[in-house]
Amino acid sequence: MGFPETRRSVVLAVRSGDPEERARALDRLVEAYWRPVFLHLRRRWRESDEDARDLAQGFFAAALEKGWLTRFDPERGKFRTYLLTCLDGHVAKERRAARRLKRGGDATFVSLEEPDEDGGTRALPLPGGTDLEAEFHREWARSLFSLAVESLRARCAGTGKAVAFALFERYDIDGAEASDRPSYAELAAEHGLPVTQVTNHLHWARRELRAAVLGTLREITASEEEFRSEARALLGVEAP
Amino acid sequence: MKELSDRALDHLREVAQRPDFSGTRYELGEELARGGMGVVYAARDRELEREVALKVVAAEMADYETIARLRREARIIAHLEHPGIVPVHDVGALPDGRVFYAMKLVTGKRLDAQVLEAPSLGERLRLFLRVCEPVAFAHAHGVIHRDLKPENVMVGPFGEVLVMDWGVAKHRDDRPPAGGSKEAGPASEDGREEAPGHEHETAHGTVLGTPAYMAPEQARGELERVDARADVYALGAILYFLLTGRAPGRTKASPDEPTRTWAGPTRPPAIVPPRRLSPGLPRALEAICWKALAPDPDGRYAKVDDLAADVGRFLEGGRVWAYPENAWQKARRFAGRHRTAIALVVAYLVMRIVLLVVARI
Amino acid sequence: MNKPLLGLVVGGVLGVFDGLSALLSAPEVAPQIMGIVIGSTVKGILVGVIAGFVARKVSSVPIGIAVGLSAGLLFAYLVAAMPDPATGKHYYWEIMLPGSLAGALVGWATQKYGRRPGEARA
Repeated sequence: MGFPETRRSVVLAVRSGDPEERARALDRLVEAYWRPVFLHLRRRWRESDEDARDLAQGFFAAALEKGWLTRFDPERGKFRTYLLTCLDGHVAKERRAARRLKRGGDATFVSLEEPDEDGGTRALPLPGGTDLEAEFHREWARSLFSLAVESLRARCAGTGKAVAFALFERYDIDGAEASDRPSYAELAAEHGLPVTQVTNHLHWARRELRAAVLGTLREITASEEEFRSEARALLGVEAP
Repeated sequence: MKELSDRALDHLREVAQRPDFSGTRYELGEELARGGMGVVYAARDRELEREVALKVVAAEMADYETIARLRREARIIAHLEHPGIVPVHDVGALPDGRVFYAMKLVTGKRLDAQVLEAPSLGERLRLFLRVCEPVAFAHAHGVIHRDLKPENVMVGPFGEVLVMDWGVAKHRDDRPPAGGSKEAGPASEDGREEAPGHEHETAHGTVLGTPAYMAPEQARGELERVDARADVYALGAILYFLLTGRAPGRTKASPDEPTRTWAGPTRPPAIVPPRRLSPGLPRALEAICWKALAPDPDGRYAKVDDLAADVGRFLEGGRVWAYPENAWQKARRFAGRHRTAIALVVAYLVMRIVLLVVARI
Repeated sequence: MNKPLLGLVVGGVLGVFDGLSALLSAPEVAPQIMGIVIGSTVKGILVGVIAGFVARKVSSVPIGIAVGLSAGLLFAYLVAAMPDPATGKHYYWEIMLPGSLAGALVGWATQKYGRRPGEARA
């Protein structure tokens, strides 16, 4: 019925002997962490859009190749924090390499620090506070919820529950600004449904969302304990 | 993939963790407390038109094991009908599979807040006796609480005491969990052990949360040694708290300060003798406290009733079992009880002597 | 036993002691000691019974003590008012002071102990 089946943690699966399993696991991790990594590169390291993309790509590849992912020890902390540390380390190294290139080696150097003139490739400004880890966490949460919403969308489309998703999107996503939010009665009128059905659809969609988001979280955590603690942080119950 | 706005994200986070009570008779209110495995909300029962409290398995804890545990907790409490034990009204499942139970909404203060308002020693001791009653009752019905502490005791507006949070209570008929004796509580799905009432016990056997109220054998995970006397220890710790204002072993002044994470070898920290913290404390009371807090269960009171009886005897000026008296202390206690009579007799004798002296002059 | 009876017994016993203790403070009265003891005992009994009856109605240790003290004082005065047949002296202090204190003790005892009407047997 409701709760997520025990999904195998991909954080552990990256150590698998089976290359296919490893690849799948990495895909899953990238899916969840791409966005927070990318934004971190733009904000903290002030990379341009394109450079951030390249760096992110390179980072994930390096992470698998150099065994950073397999070296993660769940006893020592959260995976999310570990990944961030690896990322910062990787970027610092890359920049040192680039400076060496700039100084001595290649004729045509590539500076990773020069912002471009074109709009959209300039480095993003840092958000209000400069707590980068908190920002990373928030983007991570956003990423997970986005994945969950997409999976819900796909699911609804596949099982003929498109109406439920439409209602959910209208009320809980688009209507998140309270002034925008329609009442159940208005939604019912819009879709030609009785209010009770609107309520049922919404509740169903939310349940599925919860299951999806927690399911994804289970995959990207390495232990029951980490899962529970990250879930509390993810759901905003506890500070990250 | 559509990007979620900040407001949308916050809203979805809230939606994901809030339990869905549609289709039930309850209307969810605000969150009241969050415990080891469940969240307690205020709610309204539409059928009976009254306020209740609902304990729901937390979203991140919703697995078969935790759900079964919550059901068990509800059943255990439902079988204990006592004015000091919060009554359970209902048990049910939410559409997403999470289990909840409905209980009386308790208004009042937690013991650690209430004690700030009970100035006299006598009042605190009487309060303590009222805490002992439901625990003794539970023991008589084969149930051990295993997580007694001031945060789990509520004092109502009329001074009535309620013992809450029976989440890790054990009934003597419960079959021992699989996996041997090195567990402090039921094992979770992953085979990870759970320390009663608190955060998790990790694979290395360290216990998180405060062991101040937990009997040493319980903190060490020696399941087979945990019996009613573990609750006696906890009550002794509560008595200690009532007498000194601190939990045994804590070095911080206020119980409100955040729980110290104890990740060392699982032995409780050394306990400061109560008289050092409250110098005026009668020795007999300290002895009672000390006996209840004995590290070895055989050294403690065998039953809660014995502990309560000793405290009762102290209140009446009688002899306390825990405190062997010499003749002088017995005489002092006797004198304390019969002050008026002794004063009159002494006055009479003094007067006779005075008359004698005066006549001689 | 009930309070008046208790008062009677306690008052009588204290009266005996009170009388005997006259020897302590005034050894010269030794020849009349029998008379003194009897007088004291009667005094004690009367005070005790009065205090006992009061204790039946009123439950208050201070009041009980006050009643015993006053009654003791009164009866002691009556006795002290009679001069010593041998010497003609009045022993006001020596009789009234102990008498009142003994009365106070009896008053206290009748309040603390003894059964009131309607109380169950212990």
